[in-house]
Amino acid sequence: MKTSLIASAALLALIPLGAVAQDRTLTISVYAFAQDDFKTLVYDPFEKQCGCKLVVETGNSVERLAKMEANKANPVVDMAVVSMADALSASRKGLVEKIDPSKLTNFGKLYDLAKDPNGDGMSVGYTFYATSIAYRSDKMKIESWADLLKPEYVGHVAFPNVTTNQGPPALYMLGLALGKDTPDLKGPIEAVGEKKDDIVTFYEKSSQLIQLMQQEEIWAAPIGRFSWAGFTKLDLPVTWATPKEGQTGGMNVMVVTKGSKNQDLALQFMDFWLSTDIQTKLAEKLIDSPANKDVKVSEAAANNLTYGEDTAKSLKLIPSAAALDNRDAWLSEWNDKVGQ
Amino acid sequence: MFQNRAEALALALPAAVFAAVVFLLPVAILLSEGFRLEGAWTLSAYGDFFSGTLNRTVFIRTFKLGLEVTAVSAIIGYAAAFAIVNLPPKGKGRMIGLVTLPLMISPVARTYAWIVILGRTGIVNQALTGMGLSDGPLRLLFTETAVFIGLLQLFLPLMILSLISALENMPKDAIPAARVLGANWFQVFWKVILPLTREGLVVGGTLVFTGSLTAYITPAVLGGSKVLMLETLLYQQVSVANNFVSASVIAFMLIVMSFAANILLKRLATARNKR
Repeated sequence: MKTSLIASAALLALIPLGAVAQDRTLTISVYAFAQDDFKTLVYDPFEKQCGCKLVVETGNSVERLAKMEANKANPVVDMAVVSMADALSASRKGLVEKIDPSKLTNFGKLYDLAKDPNGDGMSVGYTFYATSIAYRSDKMKIESWADLLKPEYVGHVAFPNVTTNQGPPALYMLGLALGKDTPDLKGPIEAVGEKKDDIVTFYEKSSQLIQLMQQEEIWAAPIGRFSWAGFTKLDLPVTWATPKEGQTGGMNVMVVTKGSKNQDLALQFMDFWLSTDIQTKLAEKLIDSPANKDVKVSEAAANNLTYGEDTAKSLKLIPSAAALDNRDAWLSEWNDKVGQ
Repeated sequence: MFQNRAEALALALPAAVFAAVVFLLPVAILLSEGFRLEGAWTLSAYGDFFSGTLNRTVFIRTFKLGLEVTAVSAIIGYAAAFAIVNLPPKGKGRMIGLVTLPLMISPVARTYAWIVILGRTGIVNQALTGMGLSDGPLRLLFTETAVFIGLLQLFLPLMILSLISALENMPKDAIPAARVLGANWFQVFWKVILPLTREGLVVGGTLVFTGSLTAYITPAVLGGSKVLMLETLLYQQVSVANNFVSASVIAFMLIVMSFAANILLKRLATARNKR
């Protein structure tokens, strides 16, 4: 009888707690890719840990940012992951909150470039990637980004469109190689424009490239490291270039929405995502390269990721301000010189 | 069928309201973006759009490719449809099935197949070099020709099916009668077949032209940014430049061109029928 009473009391005591847990809802806005894996590796374990409910919104960075802006007065998203440049754009529009690193227990474990990528304290990097050139080592030798435009090679090159994530970084490195390093990227765009008829295509999706490489339509293309795994499965001698100017890349970051009523929970979720355990699981599945320097992965995974402190230090990323201030001009210049 | 006009209208009202709320209203809001600047009604966005050389090039290219695909699909469509309607019933059914089959396959798969066919090591290049018509593999992919071929393959079945339907409705003795009266095959086509199948040509032409104007995957995959078209430019404006005004201008032009093509083709058919 006594046991039954205690059990009943315990059950009754749990009811309001259950109601509270149901009330705690965190809405996150993320990229649409690998959502099944994210659910298994990140969302479900976090829901269990926090006793809260996660609502996930997906889409590309620009679309989700536009939605955040439209709901500025009454935010519907608590936390978002976006590109570095979009994070700065959100910051300039007053859409995001300053992040208190003392609330992130894993902050100290991050590579330096991920701690405060835009230098404004409004974002934290959770993954980054290198961009270099994948090329057929039996057909050509790439020692510089400028080699892509050599007459003997250019007819076998696919170059990323300026509208893709890889476009501006590849142009930036080409500019460095050609000695035309200005934020407007006019020099490299002009150089590409002069060879536009020779270049096989200006690709939109890196997934196109594997087929083109397999069909020997192309011998080389600048790609992000996250696409590399597909090329290694081809029965062809494809190599990842280490040009003398270095590698470029990009980073995705986390932000907390200004005016969100769940800021502490959002920071808790960010911290969870940045933990060594979760970053290791995501890396081993080849979903995201880790921003947490304590992450150790197998050699096979490391070969397909942007991995290690040396790589992190060597990346030459386009500063977000330069990307944001010049984005429209890049497109207009590109359409003028290459798109005609 | 209905007791009066009011009853018919009342029955159509729910569907009309649904279409207005979920389709017409959003489209109207989107299109109005191109006519408003800082709260005032203006046509300046259209002026700005056409002042750019690239935009004009893309507009002309899209219109030209739409016309070319429609014209060529009409020529091939008449030949194919005429051959099919003259087959025995069993053969006719099989051929119609073959024409319909591509429509059941995703346009993405059909477009990607052309990458294999038109590639440097594809069958077209192999045939050209094998027959000695070319010294080496030609660059066929990522050209206007590739986009034209892709669009033609995508929409030709619609033209063939429309023309089959029109040819089947034609009086069976019309062609023999014209031949007996001394008409050659060109005269038979021009003076008999074309006037009697014009409705089918209008339907097929509208479907092919509108489809060619608004297709996205095929120009994006087979042409890329080397063969920029209005719909790929629209994607750039929305997803990259976040420029909804320019996107609205492009969307408006695509809609106007589609409606204009339909009205023009219908007028041509009506004018001919009145003669």
